[in-house]
Amino acid sequence: MSGFTFSEKQEKEITGILSKYPFKKSAMLPLLTLVQRAERAISPEAMVAISEKLDCSPAYVQSVMSFYTMYHAEKVGKYMILFCINISCQLNGCDKLLEHTAKKLNIKVGETTSDEKFTLHREECLADCTNAPMMRINDTYYGDLTEQRIDQILDSLD
Amino acid sequence: MSDNEVTLTIDGKSVTVPKGTKVVDAAREVDVDIPVFCYHEKIGALGCCRMCLVEVEKMPKLMTACTMDVMPDMVVKTTTDKVEKAQKGVLEFTLLNHPLDCPVCDKGGECPLQDNTFKYGPPDTRMEFHRANNAKATPLSPVITIDRERCIACQRCTAYSERIEQDQGLVMLNRGFYNEVGTFNNEPYNNRFSGNVIDICPVGALTNTDFRFKARTWDLTNTETLCAHCGCNCNITMGTRLNELMRIEARPNDAVDDGWICDKGRWGHQFVHSKNKIITARENSVGGGKPTSFPVFPHDCTIQDAAGKVAEAFKKIAEEHGPESVGFIGSPYTTNEENYLYQKLFRQSLGSNNIDHKSYQDTPGLPVDHYGVEQIETANVVLLIASDPTEELPVLDLRIKKAVTNCGTRLVSLNDQTIALDKYSSQSVQYRVGSEALAIDALANGLARELGEPAPAKDAGQTGISAEDMNTLVETVRSSMKICVVYNPSALSGDAVSRVKRLLKLIAKVPTMECGAIPAAPMTNAVGAMDMGLLPDFYPGGVPVTNQDEIKKQWGENAPTTKGLSALEMIARAEAGELKALLVHRSNPVIDFPGGSRVADALRKLDLLVVHDMLETETTELAHLVLPSNGPGYDEGTTTNIGGRVQARKKALETAQAPDWKIINLMLNALGDETDYQKVLDVTDEIAQKVPGYQEISRKSLGKAGCDRAPVTSVDETVAEQSAGSGKNGNLRLRVATSLFSHDKILDASSRLAHHFLPSTAHLNEKDAKKLGIRDGDTVLLSAQDVTLEATASVNNRCQSGGVVVPRASDWQGVNGLTGADGGPTWVEVRKV
Amino acid sequence: MTQILFKNINMKDLHTMKVYEEQGGYQALKKAFAQKPEEIVEAVKASGLRGRGGAGFPTGLKWSFLAKDVFPRYLCCNADESEPGTCKDRELMLKNPHSLIEGMILCSYACRVEIGYIYMRGEFHDLIFNMGKAIEDAYAKGYLGKNIQGTGFNLDIYTHLGAGAYICGEESALLNSLEGERGEPRMKPPFPAVEGLYAKPTVINNVETLCVIPYIVNEGAEKYASMGTEKSKGTKLVSVSGHVKKPGNYEVVLGTPIREIIYDLAGGIRDDNNLKAFIPGGSSVPMLPADQVDVLYDYESLAAAGTMLGSGAMIVIDDTVNIVESTLRLISFYMHESCGKCTPCREGTRWLYQIVEKIMQNKGQLDYIEKMEDICDNMNMKAFCPLADACVSPVVSSIKYFRSDYEAYFKNTPVGSV
Repeated sequence: MSGFTFSEKQEKEITGILSKYPFKKSAMLPLLTLVQRAERAISPEAMVAISEKLDCSPAYVQSVMSFYTMYHAEKVGKYMILFCINISCQLNGCDKLLEHTAKKLNIKVGETTSDEKFTLHREECLADCTNAPMMRINDTYYGDLTEQRIDQILDSLD
Repeated sequence: MSDNEVTLTIDGKSVTVPKGTKVVDAAREVDVDIPVFCYHEKIGALGCCRMCLVEVEKMPKLMTACTMDVMPDMVVKTTTDKVEKAQKGVLEFTLLNHPLDCPVCDKGGECPLQDNTFKYGPPDTRMEFHRANNAKATPLSPVITIDRERCIACQRCTAYSERIEQDQGLVMLNRGFYNEVGTFNNEPYNNRFSGNVIDICPVGALTNTDFRFKARTWDLTNTETLCAHCGCNCNITMGTRLNELMRIEARPNDAVDDGWICDKGRWGHQFVHSKNKIITARENSVGGGKPTSFPVFPHDCTIQDAAGKVAEAFKKIAEEHGPESVGFIGSPYTTNEENYLYQKLFRQSLGSNNIDHKSYQDTPGLPVDHYGVEQIETANVVLLIASDPTEELPVLDLRIKKAVTNCGTRLVSLNDQTIALDKYSSQSVQYRVGSEALAIDALANGLARELGEPAPAKDAGQTGISAEDMNTLVETVRSSMKICVVYNPSALSGDAVSRVKRLLKLIAKVPTMECGAIPAAPMTNAVGAMDMGLLPDFYPGGVPVTNQDEIKKQWGENAPTTKGLSALEMIARAEAGELKALLVHRSNPVIDFPGGSRVADALRKLDLLVVHDMLETETTELAHLVLPSNGPGYDEGTTTNIGGRVQARKKALETAQAPDWKIINLMLNALGDETDYQKVLDVTDEIAQKVPGYQEISRKSLGKAGCDRAPVTSVDETVAEQSAGSGKNGNLRLRVATSLFSHDKILDASSRLAHHFLPSTAHLNEKDAKKLGIRDGDTVLLSAQDVTLEATASVNNRCQSGGVVVPRASDWQGVNGLTGADGGPTWVEVRKV
Repeated sequence: MTQILFKNINMKDLHTMKVYEEQGGYQALKKAFAQKPEEIVEAVKASGLRGRGGAGFPTGLKWSFLAKDVFPRYLCCNADESEPGTCKDRELMLKNPHSLIEGMILCSYACRVEIGYIYMRGEFHDLIFNMGKAIEDAYAKGYLGKNIQGTGFNLDIYTHLGAGAYICGEESALLNSLEGERGEPRMKPPFPAVEGLYAKPTVINNVETLCVIPYIVNEGAEKYASMGTEKSKGTKLVSVSGHVKKPGNYEVVLGTPIREIIYDLAGGIRDDNNLKAFIPGGSSVPMLPADQVDVLYDYESLAAAGTMLGSGAMIVIDDTVNIVESTLRLISFYMHESCGKCTPCREGTRWLYQIVEKIMQNKGQLDYIEKMEDICDNMNMKAFCPLADACVSPVVSSIKYFRSDYEAYFKNTPVGSV
C-alpha cells in the first residue's frame, strides 16, 4: 500500500525522534502522534508508512494505535475538545456542562461538527482536578468552567 | 540432584524439575492438573487468563502457576478453598460474554473451556444482563473463520504470531473490553503457518473454515500419521468421517516439528479426493507415444493381471535387449517400502541398475553426523547452503527462528538468492547464480588455509563474493564450536553437492569442532529414497555398486554390479532409442525434469512406458499402461525426514485398490520371486534386515514419534576439477526457486490454498534490468532449450547481476523445462515483450 | 508550614534557568559530584523518602536494587500523572521544570544512568515545550550532555509522550509504551531494576519523588528525615479537589491531620455543607467517611484506617452526593482504562458497571450488593496488575460505609444527586 509520504520537514523531525532511542520501535508513539496532529487521523496508509520506518508489521502499528485514545482512525475536528467527566469534575457539575457544550455545538458527545471544526469527546481525568470542571481543547487546558465561560471559549476559536 | 534442578512440593507431592520450569509444567510431572487457557508450553507465559491461580506458601496472594518459575522448597497447593473459589470466579468471568453455542461449535468435545468448566467451574452464572454480541463467523482468511463472540481474549494466537511466526500478522486490536484479535486493516491473515492458531485456540473462536459444521469432533476417526509434503515429515492427525478427510491437525513431536505444521500440511491434502485420482489400471489406447506391441490390459483386468503383465513385458524386453534397456524412475515422495521393493524388482528380478529418482546429483550418507532438526537449537552456528527453508521446508524455518531468537544460535547463509530468513542471519553471503561450486570451494579453501592444509590461493573471484565477506564467513564457521550445515542438494547444480561434502569433512577437522549436517532437499522422502538405493550407483544403505562382495551376499549372485543410468541419462538413452522400457513411479518427468519438450519426445520413443501414479499427469498421458498408486492418506509405510528420522505414515482412508507395495509384490511374484508380504510391516522388517542404518527400525521402535536411523555410510568422493560448464547460450543464468504453494497437481485448482498461488515471476537484478530495458512489472519472456516462458518482471536484487530467479509457480508455468539436461547451470535469454 | 517543593512555586519565572539558579538551583550537583554515587543512594535511603507516585516504596532501596554491573541503565521519570484527583506533577513541571531535571541528574549520577526519559501523558503536550526548553537550557549550561561539570559523567534526558492510557502510569506498562508497544503491564519478575527498559536495569520514579532529591542532597538526609512521622518522612504534595472552597495543590508535612488539609488549607466544604466522604490518595484507594477526618495524613495512619496515601489526591465529597453515582463514575473509568489483558479486570469492571447502572435505574435487586462484594473478591489480587484492585477499592469501601445509599435505590428513594 502506498499513498502516504512524510513531508521533508516531517522526515527531518523523524530523524530527530529516532535519534532519541537506542531501538527505533520506541519512536512508535511519537510517529503516530506526528501523523495524528498533522492529519487529524491515522489512515491505514500512514500506518504502513510508519511500519516501514520502524521495521515492524503494519498490523503491529494498528495494534498499538488502537490501544491509545488519542489516536483516531476517523478524522477529528480542527478543535478536539476533551471534556473531563471524572470524579472531581463530576462533583463540580461537569455533566450538565458537557450537555450544554454538546447542545451548543449541535452534536452528540463523540461526534464532529459538520464543518469539521469541533469534535467533542468525553474524557477521563486530565490531571487538572483542582481547576475542575475542566476541558482540554487541542493543547490548551481550560479550568473552572461555567456555561458562560464555555460559550466564550468556543466563540473565541476560529 | 544437580545445580540445575529444583525440588518443590505440589499438593503434597515432591517433584524435581530443571531450573526455569514453570510451576504449571512441574505439576504435570506429578499428575497435578492446573487448568490453563492462555499458557502454551511452546509459546511461553502470558498471564492473561488467570485460570491457573494457585496458593504458594509464604506468598500473600494467589499466584499464576504459568508465570511462576519453580523455586527450591516452594510449597504449592492447587486444591484449597481459596484456589477453588478463584477458579470458579475466573471461569465465571470467562464465560460472562461467551455464547453458549456449544451445540453448534466446532470445538465442542475437545474444548478446554468446556473441560475446565466441567471440572472447575460454577454450575451456572450470575450474569443476568445481555451478553456482548460480538461478530460471529467472520473470515479471517480464506481458510480460517473467526468467531469473535467466542474469543476469551487469552492472546495465545497473537503471542503465537509474535513469538513463533515472528511476523506479528495477527494482533490484539483496541483495548479493554473491546479487545479483539485481528489483522491490519482487516486484510486476510495469510501467513504460511496460520492454521496453527486453530489448534491452539482454547475455545471455538478460531475455526477451520473447511471443517465448519462438517462433523462433531467425537464422530471423527483420528489417524496419527505424517504430512506428505516436504521433507520435514511433520506429525499430523488426519480426522476422517465416512471415509472422507475432514481436517488435519498438528500432532506435536519435538524431534520433528516442535508442535507446528504449515498451512500446506493442513489444507494441502485435498488431493486424496481429487477427481484426477487414478483408481484403476488402464491402457492408453491413444497414448501420445508409439503403439506398443506388448500385451495390453483387458478392459476388466484385475490388478494381479495388470501387475503380472507389466512385469512380464519388462522381463521380455530385458531378455531381448539386455537389462540395460529397461529402467526405473522412482520418487522422493513415496514410502521407503515402495522404493525398496521397486529397486529390488529392478535389481534382483530384472538385473538392471538403471534406477534413479531425481534429476540432480547426490550420494547417500554424510561424512559427518546426520543431525536431527532439534540439533539446530543447540548448535552455535547454522550454515544454510543454497537452502531456503521458508519455501522449501517451512517448519524448519520456524525451528531456525526459534534457535536464533531464543537459543543464541547464529545463522549464516551462503546462497545465490536472498531468502526470508536473511532477516535472522548475522551474515548472508550471496554468490552469483551458477557459481555455487566455486563459492563452496572458496569457503572450503579458506578453512583449509586456516587449518594449514594445501589450498589454492585464488578463489572467490568469480562468485561475486568479496574476500572480506568470505573471510568473515570462514571465521564464523571456524570458531563455531558446534555447527549445523543445512544444504539443499536439489538446488545445487553440477557436482556442487560433492563439494559440500568435502567442505563438511574439512569443518570436522577443526579442533574441538562438533559438526553435523542436514541434507535439506524439499521432497517428502528424499533421504529415504537415497537410503533405499533408488540410485544407479548405490544399493540400499549407501552400499556402492562396486562393493561386489557385500552386494552378492545380500542380493544374490546375479545382482548387477555395474553402475546404471541416472534418470537424466535414461531420458537421453530413450531419446537415442537405446532405452526400450521405462517404469515411472509417482514422478512426472515431463514437467519436473530439465530438458523441455525433449523429455516428452524421448518418452514417446519408448517401446513401453508404464506409469504408476496416484494422479493424472502429463507423463501418465504418454504412458502405454497406467497403474494406480494409493498415495498419502491411503498408503502406509515409513518415510525418512531430512534429519534422518524414520516415522510411520499411516492409512487414514480406506480404498478397495491394492496398495503399491502389493502391486510391486505381484510383479516380483510374476518374475519368480516367491516372497509374499502380508502387510507393509513385513516389508519394513525386510528393510531392517537388509538396509544398513535401518537395523533398528521396527513397529515397536517407531512408536508414535519415530526413531532415528543409524548413519548411512558415505563414500569418499573425488571432486572433479571445475569444468567451465556449458557454453554461454543466453544473457542470464537461471535459478529455479522453490515456492511452497506451487500450483501443481497436488494443490490443484480446487485447492483451499489457491489464494497463495503466485503468478509467474522473474526476479531480476537492477543492473541487468537496466541493461535489458526491463522495468518492474513488465512482461518478459525467458527462453532456453526449446522452451519459452512468460513471466512478470520483479526488479528487486534477489540475486546478483548476471542471474535471474524464477520461483516455480505452477506446473503449467513449466520453468523446469528451461533448465538444461546436463545438470549444470543454465543460461536463459530474457527479453522484454 | 515547611515547604520544600512548593517553596517558591509561584515565584515569577521560576521555570527559567536564571531564576532557578538564583534560588540556589543546580547547587546540589557540585555537592553530589564530590561524593561517590553510592553515597547519594545511601543518603536517599537515610532520608526515608518513599515513592510519591502511589505505591510508596522506599526510593533509596529501589535504587539499590539495580542489577549490579549491568549497563547501560535507564532512568524513567513517571510523569504520566493519570490517577484521578491528582494534578501535582503537572504543576511542578509547569512551574519548576528545572527541579525535576536537577533531581534526574542526581538520581542518574547515583545510579550510574546515562539516559533518562520523562514519560509524560499525551495530554501534557503543552508541557513539552516548557520541559523541552528547560532541558535545552540545562544542556547549554553543561548540566546535561557529555562529561558534566568535568566529572566524566554523561547524561541525556529526553521527553516522551504517551497517547491516552491510564494504565501507562503503571511502571511496567509505561516501559512497554516507551518501547513502542501497547501499554499492557509486564510480568514481574523480572522487575524493572533487573530488566526494565530495553531489558536493562531501570529506575522508575515519579516526578515529585525526583524533585525532592536536590533538597536531600543540599540539606542532608537527616534534615529531611527530621520531618514527618516514623515511617513517613518529609513532605507530600496533596491535590485537594471536589467540594472544597479552595481546591489546589498543597504541600504538607507527613502526619498532618486530614482535617487541617480539608478545612484549613482548602478552606472547608463548599457552601458550608457537611463532609460526607473523602478519598485520600486518588481514585484507586478506598474512600473514608466523614468521621475519619481526624486521621493523620501519612502512610501508616492511612493504612491503619484501611486505605492508602496513594498519589496524594484528596477528593472531597459533601453530603449532597449519592455515593453510588460517584462510584459508578469510577467503575466506568476503570472499565474504560482496563487494558483487557487479563480476564478478571476486563470482565469484572464491566460487570460491576452493569450492576451499578442497573441499581441506579431502580432496577436492582437486594442480592446485588452481596453479588458485587463477591465479584470484587474474585477480582481483588487476582488480576495481572493492580488496576482491578483499584476498581474494587471504591466499590467495596462505598458499600462498607454507605450501604444505605445503595439500599435507597432498592426502596426507590435515591438520596442526593450531583
